[in-house]
Amino acid sequence: MLSAILGIFAWAVIAPIVARRWPRHAGWVLAIPPAFLTVWFASFVPGIAAGEAVREVTPWIPGLGVNLSFYLDGLSVTFALMICGIGALIVVYSGGYLRGDAMLPRFFLFILAFMGSMLGVVLADNVIALIVFWELTSVTSFLLIGYLHDSPQSRRSALQALLVTSLGGLIMMAGLILLGIVGGGFELSELADRGGFLREHPYYTAILFLILAGAFTKSAQFPFHFWLPNAMDAPTPVSAYLHSATMVKAGIYLMARLAPTLGGTEAWTLTLVTVGSITAVLGAVLAVRQTDLKRILAYTTITALGQLTMLIGIGGTYALETFTVYLLAHACYKGALFMGVGAVDHETGTRQVGELGGLLRLMPVTAAAIGLAALSNAGLPPFLGFIGKEFMYSSTLGLAEDGGMPALGWVVTAAMVVSNALMMVTAGLVFIKPFLGARTETPKAAHEAPIGLWLGPIVLAAAGLGLGVFHGELERLLVAPVAASLAGRPMEVHIYLWGGLTPPLWLSVATVALGIVLYLGWPRVKAGFDGVAAALRYDSDRGWDGFLKGLVKLAAAQTRVIQSGYLRHYVMFTITFTTVAIAATMVAFDALTAPSLMELDAPYTAWALALIVLTATAAAVLATSRLVAILSLGVVGVVIALIFLLYGAPDVAITQFMVETLVVIIVALVLARLPRLTAFARPNRRSALRDAVISIAFGAVVTALMLSVIDLPIPLDLSDFFASRSLTEGFGRNVVNVILVDFRAVDTLGEVLVVTTAGLGAFSLLKARPKRARRESPEDADATSSQQDGKPSVIEQNGDRP
Amino acid sequence: MTEFPVLTPALPEIFMALSAITLLMLGVFRGDGDTRLISYLTVGVEVVAAVLVLTGSGVREVTFSNLFVMDSFGAFMKVLVLMGSALSVLVSINYIEREQMKRIEFPVLMLLATLGMMMMVSANDLISLYVGLELQSLALYVLAAFRRDHAKSSEAGLKYFVLGALSSGMLLYGASLVYGFAGTTNFSVLADLFAGHGQQAGHTSIGLIAGLTFVAAGLAFKISAVPFHMWTPDVYEGAPTPVTAFFAVAPKVAAIALFVRLLIEPFGSMVDQWRQIIYFTALASMVLGSFAAIGQTNIKRLMAYSSIGHIGFALVGLAAGTELGVRGVMFYMAIYIFMNIGTFGIILCMRQNGRMVEEITDLAGLSKTHPMLALAMLIFMFSMAGIPPAAGFFAKLFVFQAAIQAHLYSLAILGVLASVVGAFYYLRIIKVMYFDEPVEPLDRNISGEMTLVIAGTSLFTLLFFFFPSPLLNGAAAAAASLFAG
Repeated sequence: MLSAILGIFAWAVIAPIVARRWPRHAGWVLAIPPAFLTVWFASFVPGIAAGEAVREVTPWIPGLGVNLSFYLDGLSVTFALMICGIGALIVVYSGGYLRGDAMLPRFFLFILAFMGSMLGVVLADNVIALIVFWELTSVTSFLLIGYLHDSPQSRRSALQALLVTSLGGLIMMAGLILLGIVGGGFELSELADRGGFLREHPYYTAILFLILAGAFTKSAQFPFHFWLPNAMDAPTPVSAYLHSATMVKAGIYLMARLAPTLGGTEAWTLTLVTVGSITAVLGAVLAVRQTDLKRILAYTTITALGQLTMLIGIGGTYALETFTVYLLAHACYKGALFMGVGAVDHETGTRQVGELGGLLRLMPVTAAAIGLAALSNAGLPPFLGFIGKEFMYSSTLGLAEDGGMPALGWVVTAAMVVSNALMMVTAGLVFIKPFLGARTETPKAAHEAPIGLWLGPIVLAAAGLGLGVFHGELERLLVAPVAASLAGRPMEVHIYLWGGLTPPLWLSVATVALGIVLYLGWPRVKAGFDGVAAALRYDSDRGWDGFLKGLVKLAAAQTRVIQSGYLRHYVMFTITFTTVAIAATMVAFDALTAPSLMELDAPYTAWALALIVLTATAAAVLATSRLVAILSLGVVGVVIALIFLLYGAPDVAITQFMVETLVVIIVALVLARLPRLTAFARPNRRSALRDAVISIAFGAVVTALMLSVIDLPIPLDLSDFFASRSLTEGFGRNVVNVILVDFRAVDTLGEVLVVTTAGLGAFSLLKARPKRARRESPEDADATSSQQDGKPSVIEQNGDRP
Repeated sequence: MTEFPVLTPALPEIFMALSAITLLMLGVFRGDGDTRLISYLTVGVEVVAAVLVLTGSGVREVTFSNLFVMDSFGAFMKVLVLMGSALSVLVSINYIEREQMKRIEFPVLMLLATLGMMMMVSANDLISLYVGLELQSLALYVLAAFRRDHAKSSEAGLKYFVLGALSSGMLLYGASLVYGFAGTTNFSVLADLFAGHGQQAGHTSIGLIAGLTFVAAGLAFKISAVPFHMWTPDVYEGAPTPVTAFFAVAPKVAAIALFVRLLIEPFGSMVDQWRQIIYFTALASMVLGSFAAIGQTNIKRLMAYSSIGHIGFALVGLAAGTELGVRGVMFYMAIYIFMNIGTFGIILCMRQNGRMVEEITDLAGLSKTHPMLALAMLIFMFSMAGIPPAAGFFAKLFVFQAAIQAHLYSLAILGVLASVVGAFYYLRIIKVMYFDEPVEPLDRNISGEMTLVIAGTSLFTLLFFFFPSPLLNGAAAAAASLFAG
């Protein structure tokens, strides 16, 4: 299976070459491998029907237990058949539809790459591999939707689709990893056996909703349904393939795949059934409001996706059977309808319902394809669509009668009747109006499409009829294995066209009757829905735009508040945060102690020194000239050196004296060359107060910290060490001297060196400064602006380097 | 008389220090005209240093009185630092010539900063930590302000310097508290001491905790983690672009390495105390990086926020505090380097009529005018957004996995949500490149070095998922070396 996927990817890379070489028949040539794969996957079907699932493992990142493992059971083989089979038809179709387009080679590359990714999604057994392929489908579909990027609308749609689906995908990733870690393995086939444990786990709800976020966004479930109709701006083959047959079903696939693992709980059933039903009705209502054939189909696709979600949610024999039947039925008729409508658009130049009519004579084959597909879509016997609808009613009635949720069951049944009736209306709109209605003038003179354009629709439409008639084989080969995959155990299933005069049949009759009534009154129905929509003024699409705008606004607000560009704000923020953090830590550790100052055991000299520090600090803060400020800080430094001296660290004190003196001298020299401290540098009252509060808070917190740690034992005392060894090891009685020149001789040497170097550096800087200043300062402003214009700066070229 | 220290563990650093001095002399004698030569030599020196690192013994060795340690964790991180630095020098060569900043000091300062980073990675003592950090920082301050005649560049340098000095002050204050209450600055001794503490019913003095908090604050500044990130956007925007590229990779890797070593080795047994700090910083960085980036129009500012976000993700792994988490961090940084250098390479190619442009809208229609460049950017953006199969996805995957295994569920989930928001602005760049109409196309001529760097990094990012094992195993072995002791 790995070779199948890699083969498709390799073929995608070759595709542009093939398309350039044989531009007229590229579609036919390129469709061969997918067609072959269809047959290959079909050859597994009898074995799988007999209960033999195939598993294939290739080590990938063995250290992490991430393997490229694939699993082929009923569910995945059905999807694989759909992807390859419909894919082959689509490739042929695109060869005709986009003939002569300069971008066609690239188009084939993308669509085949998409096919490979999609195959990966449905075959992958490893969760990580699944995520990788899943996101690859988002990426390739983005490139395909944006294929016609001339229109701003198309660009917006492509971005919207990418954002919604890949955001969902990332959320899903969190859910799947959580699932893998909680479940103790990353293989989906193994996780299926641990369903009981997982459903009881406290993180079950988190896992479920994270994963559903991915599935719902991908499969356009309410409230994320808005991206799908917009994505229909893509060329028709893309819409037909991605947005009806395959990609949008990836979410459905994932829910079905995880049904045995996560399904069956109340949260699962309620969420899926509710969301699915709302989506189904909403899609149907919106579909009836459209006049563009393609948009009609887009919204009916949403309906179908909603119904499928609902069926997975219900679970149980009937629902699972229905799921499979309906899945296949929808893939057949919707693919056929999309391609057929594309052919109509291609040949007549329009897709508007009002502009089309009487095409039956002119395009008989296309008409036949669309007609057959529309009948299946409308759910009339003996098509597969009919079986799907019958069983859907059985499932919802089952939920109502013995599923434990009677109220929900009845509401859902009613919702399904309405949405199916509306589906009939759309089938009428797509087939009856354009083909049987009165002949109209179209932008292009209509005639039958070439074989490439009608082959796909007719094959798929015929498949819909054939599978409906020969439903016995279908049941044995596909329906039973898929139902077994979903249930996690073998299932007894039975599907039939005629089940007697049962309640589902009566519901079908009611649906058909309602559908005919609604179709006949379509203009009024549409007007009514439009009126309701106008009254509600709800639009997810606009909601999404609002959401994006809000994000941008939030970002801008952040910049205003935190990222002001002023250094003083940054310093303020940093200090404030540190203050809060330290204070919080102290509170958390209950370390706030408040010894009274009188209890502190300090000599009176220390008190005097402390007073000097305070005074000097105050002087520095209040100083109106830089010189006073730096001298005051110098006083602080000297006093600190005195404190070192007082507490027995003479060597440190001497270093401190030296550095402090030098700093004051150098800074004072530099300051002498700066302009006077002018009025604009003085903060106003309010910011001065704010700065004072922050500074005092910081000081207070650090002081509190010191006070609280002051009692803690400090594990070493160097004074004694030096005092006792000064004579014995250093041969000197003056302890300070011995420390400086013996115990810490290298330190002293280093300090002297550093201080000297710093002094020399400062000296040379100061000496060099006047020359530079004279030459450069008047031009500084000009230099900056000229640089921004891209012109070389004069100053930079004749710089002052020796 | 103490015996002469065994110098072999520090051989790459010694080689680099001597080379830097030699190159500086060479530059002074040859003049600015030979800056290109000096740049190539700098790259050569870094390559040789990387080879020296890789050919080291691989076992844990200490030297300089236990101040300096060399182990496979250090080797891994040093190779990353050297790689990031060498690639930055490569992409700078043409830029500094074009923009009239051709000074021999430029590559030499890069080399000296890199040397500082190597010392940081190998620091085994609070003192050697500080010395390495300052060697790096001082060189970086100068580099940020390298275009003295450019108001924005000078402003960037000044802001970086003032805030950097503030953070260094905090770090030193914290280090002195740690020394005061533990009686040593050596990592190995601290580790033994705290391991003993851990058994005494978790009684740790407030002085130590406060010291650790201050040290962490100082280091958080260096990796530009929230709330010490404020300098990043301004400095990234103001500094010359190759310097920004350098800022975005090499110092980050070195500071993260230092952070990891400090928290895992000496403070490893105090994980319960520091986890809250890292948890908060990681979360705040991810959220702020994601949300704030959305509003940006300048691509360098955007990259600043992006790097803040990425550091947040890497810190998620550190918050786990496990071997798996450290492996995730290392892995993340490795991927991060490639994506970032590549992206900055593309930003350096953004010129219209010979003039640098930095607005995101200037990328409009890149797919039509420069299809290959657009494709490379597409790969980088997908990778940064963490969308598979690009390498960035695996980076995120491993840190989140580690976080979940350490039961930090909320952090992992909030992190994923932040990355969802972050994906928005990366994808917007792709939209601009692929779907918007070009206003004025970018210049066509792209130098050979640039092509090499962009092509190499983008291929790595794209094809990584075929061969993830070598890098992953390297990171695993390196992480194990940190937990062995």
